[in-house]
Amino acid sequence: MNIEWILSNYGVLLPEAVLTLFAFAIILIGLKYRSILGYLAFVGGVVSLGLVIMNFSVNATLLYNSLVFDPLSQFFKVVFLLVTLLTIIASLRYYHGNAHQGEYYFLLLIATVGMMFVASANDLVSLFVAFELGSIATYVLAAFDKENPRSIEAGFKYFMIGALSSAILLLGMSLIYGITGTTNFTALSQMSFEMSGYTLAALVLIIAGLGFKMALVPFHMWAPDTYQGAPTVVSAMLAAGSKKMGFVAAFKLIVLALIALRTEWYMVFAVIAVITMTYGNLVALTQRSLKRMLAYSSIAQAGYIAMALVVVSYTHVDSVVNLAMGGALFYILSHAFMKGGAFLAVGTVGYMLLRDKIKVDEDDIDNFSGLSKTAPITAFSLTVFLFALAGIPLTAGFVSKLLIFSAAIYGGLAWLAVIAILNSALSLFYYARVVKVMYWDKPKFDLKGEPTAYVVAVLLALLGTVLLGVYPGPFVDVAMKVAEVFL
Amino acid sequence: MQEYAVLIPLLPIFGFILTLFLGRKLPGQGSFIPVLAIAGSTIISVGVLLEIYPSGEVIHQSWHWFSLINIGILVDPLAAVMLCMVSFVSLIIHIYSMEYMKGQGERYYAETSLFTAGMLGVVIADNLFLFFLSWELVGLCSYLLIGYWYRKPSAASAAKKAFLVTRVGDVLLLAGIFITYANMIKFAPDSQYPLSLLEIFRHITDIPPLQLTLITLLFLGGAAGKSGQFPLHIWLPDAMEGPTTVSALIHAATMVTAGVYLVARTFPMFLAAPYSLVVVAYLGAFTALIAATMGLVMNDIKRVLAYSTISQLGYMMLALGSGAIIGMAAVGIAMLHLISHAFFKALLFLCSGSVIHATHTNDIRLMGGLLSKMKITGYTMLIGSLALAGIPITSGYYSKDAIIEAALEYGLGSGDLLPYLMGLFTVLLTATYIFRAWFMAFVGKSRLPKGKPHESPWLMTVPLIILAFCSLVFAGAVNSWFGGKIFVEYVGRTFERIAGTDPEVLSAMGGYHLMEVHVEHSFLILPLAFAVVGVLIAAMVYWAKKPDPESIVSPTNPIYRLLITKYYELPIIDFISMRITMGVAILTKVVERIFIDGSIWLITQTGFLLGEILRMAQSGIVRHYATAVALGTGLLIIGLWGWL
Repeated sequence: MNIEWILSNYGVLLPEAVLTLFAFAIILIGLKYRSILGYLAFVGGVVSLGLVIMNFSVNATLLYNSLVFDPLSQFFKVVFLLVTLLTIIASLRYYHGNAHQGEYYFLLLIATVGMMFVASANDLVSLFVAFELGSIATYVLAAFDKENPRSIEAGFKYFMIGALSSAILLLGMSLIYGITGTTNFTALSQMSFEMSGYTLAALVLIIAGLGFKMALVPFHMWAPDTYQGAPTVVSAMLAAGSKKMGFVAAFKLIVLALIALRTEWYMVFAVIAVITMTYGNLVALTQRSLKRMLAYSSIAQAGYIAMALVVVSYTHVDSVVNLAMGGALFYILSHAFMKGGAFLAVGTVGYMLLRDKIKVDEDDIDNFSGLSKTAPITAFSLTVFLFALAGIPLTAGFVSKLLIFSAAIYGGLAWLAVIAILNSALSLFYYARVVKVMYWDKPKFDLKGEPTAYVVAVLLALLGTVLLGVYPGPFVDVAMKVAEVFL
Repeated sequence: MQEYAVLIPLLPIFGFILTLFLGRKLPGQGSFIPVLAIAGSTIISVGVLLEIYPSGEVIHQSWHWFSLINIGILVDPLAAVMLCMVSFVSLIIHIYSMEYMKGQGERYYAETSLFTAGMLGVVIADNLFLFFLSWELVGLCSYLLIGYWYRKPSAASAAKKAFLVTRVGDVLLLAGIFITYANMIKFAPDSQYPLSLLEIFRHITDIPPLQLTLITLLFLGGAAGKSGQFPLHIWLPDAMEGPTTVSALIHAATMVTAGVYLVARTFPMFLAAPYSLVVVAYLGAFTALIAATMGLVMNDIKRVLAYSTISQLGYMMLALGSGAIIGMAAVGIAMLHLISHAFFKALLFLCSGSVIHATHTNDIRLMGGLLSKMKITGYTMLIGSLALAGIPITSGYYSKDAIIEAALEYGLGSGDLLPYLMGLFTVLLTATYIFRAWFMAFVGKSRLPKGKPHESPWLMTVPLIILAFCSLVFAGAVNSWFGGKIFVEYVGRTFERIAGTDPEVLSAMGGYHLMEVHVEHSFLILPLAFAVVGVLIAAMVYWAKKPDPESIVSPTNPIYRLLITKYYELPIIDFISMRITMGVAILTKVVERIFIDGSIWLITQTGFLLGEILRMAQSGIVRHYATAVALGTGLLIIGLWGWL
């Protein structure tokens, strides 16, 4: 068993291995040198990202087919790592000098490792274990600002509902195992199911369990409280990264493994998608807290992405399935940039208020008045992110919506597309309101300069949002190629 | 050089960005940056032309952009000569404005650079989408530059007028592009990029001819807006409110030729469209004539030149229209005059700029006797005027003569001599109005109330000399002196190497009978005779003062009144804009307020109400959240059970 043998057989695991290694190194080094931890975590993330991209078109299975490495898993790993990197850059400033930095970066990297394993899971057991790894680390992260009661509350609620959902998910999984006698996705995908109360219950329980992570209505209620209370850098990570873990799990478990049940889940997802987007947009209308508003907008966006699941279950035309899933993947990539960027931009403002010792609610919309004059880069970037979320052309959000909505129309679900488009129009109202406040109202506070680390993170997200919007061609091609897994 | 062709429009864009952001800190407000950038474009353009000239090949590069749209460049002979002209003339004007616009702000240099980039984009685009984007960029920059002195109310309103009037054309062009797209999707569904010019040409025969007529007439509407054809010419004279160098750019290099170029670029579509070319010919001839009559009475030196531009653009359209008989050669003839005109019109504008620089007035009634004080300006302007009038050995003589001859061939071939006659008569008027202006400004006694005019600095006079040289020799050199009609043949064959543009097939589709028409040589002397007579009339009235101009120019003379009011342009426009447009606007306002605003109000209020109600569910108590999860799961199971 020499090193070459390990590399040739387990080389695909290198990104996860590197990240884990860095995580433990950070804990150790953090005992003595705190100031370099963030940079260390960043390096770990970059190395891991490089390894994933180098191995993008891999096709391998490991550990008795319980882990699979294919373009789909690599695609999601790229998304997770990008979000983690953005979060790390912003955290460099936010947790500068914090005594518990070691734990913070450790948890962040471990959460990412968990999410990456979810992307690679090919078995109910490996999926569940990885899912828990990715979740538990984020429960702690949400409560990381332990002097802030809101942060504690956020972590607590998140954990309670998370535990409940895990139980539900596990119940659904055990039912599946009971019915079929296998836990492997490849085996499951070749099964034909007999319709019974058990299969039905198993399906709904799994959807409910994963719906918690994806923040689909009515399993979403933790999300606004958690996103608002958690440190904003963590909210960014939760909304842009962790949520996608729910989606990849759903894609793998429902679209790949339980494809035989597609007529059953068609109705479930149709109802959930419509309720989710409408509910998210309606409640977002009246929010004064920007983080809450972004949380609800995030719920609405989950509704749009879930449309792909409806289309896939409804149509059997390969090209439409490909368009829907490719669109969903592209949407997930764009959403990582635009939602992550939006949270980070809001976090920038919160940080500046804290730094300049202005005592207000950190994310009240009033704090953003006249931001274009006091913090022009943040204001401009936030404007682009919000317009992207609304789906204005030349941004990533437009292309994403275009792909998913046209998949719905080609798939014969025009009514769904109409509802989604009306929802998008509705959403513009609350996005544009923030832009109006930032550009037309008079500045309320005198802010002293924008923090560099935050600005870098925000600008990187901006670059992603604009690049995907202006030159989407190659990225759409990649997403479509990756989505061929689902055919 | 070919691989650098894509840089031709990009360099001025870089110039724009650099100048806009760094110009303030650089010497001379960074005016050298656009000059360098455009010099680069010029060098590449000329290099590309020299490379592709011997073989007559076509450069086409294309990259996927998104869905059915590509980004690409197409350099065929037509585009190549146009690129050279645009970048070269723009370069000269930029050098001149280094002195002329000194200390007027870096925004000027940045915007002219962008203006040039837009025009180069129009020329080099290989698809209608990119074409339209560049076209709009040109429109935007013209608005910004005409209104450069935006604190002056007349400049601000002139800019607005230019923007609004050309917008009418833009809407028509856009409609034409939409219809093209719809037709391509319908009749050529396997086409990868339905708006690519090459694809459109390949599929012309698949599109129904009457659809083509509709498309090309809409294109012609767009061209009329940009190129100041009747009745959308009204913005061009007012556009003189911008700095004179901007007028030179608009009139020679960057804007008004875009419309003519559009028709030339899509000429295969015109050739396959029944009636369209006849409309082009008539529109051109009529515009040429009517603008020339108005040019006769203007007192602002720049306005005289503005009307002459409209009139000359009319000639170019007439040349294109005569393609109904002479075929693709019409493109070559139109382009020959376009480039020749660009040289002498840029020259005339820069000369008038030099005069205005020295006398601080635009009014030719206040000038006079300037020749002795401004020798270089005076003589170069004389060359420009001779070229405009079409007196032999100047460039204008050869290029305009070719058009009149083409119009005559069209007349003899189709039996419809009216466009030819209008064009011929315009020659006389052209010579008269331009020499009226020259004589009033440069000979006789000075009528300046104060100040001593002097020659402009070398940075301004050198460009004049270069342009004067070009105005003297260009058309003769490329199309007459050395071995016949080199230019017209080269450019006229631009479509030969592009698939689907066989003139025989296309003209059969459009119902035009292409033929070789034999023209009596004695006819060809007519334009020259008319031009000489025109100059003589101007000389008699405004130099020798026999008869005295005062006796003709009086408000009691009905013809003069008709012309000085520009055919009652103002009341007519007022009626259209104030009565008709306002009526429609008020109607739509009522509809909008009640139905649209009302329904939006209703929707938002309902939305808020629902949002408030739903928000109450968010109690903040974890127990409730858990209940929601459990309830949701239960309901889903029950619902699904019922549904199945």
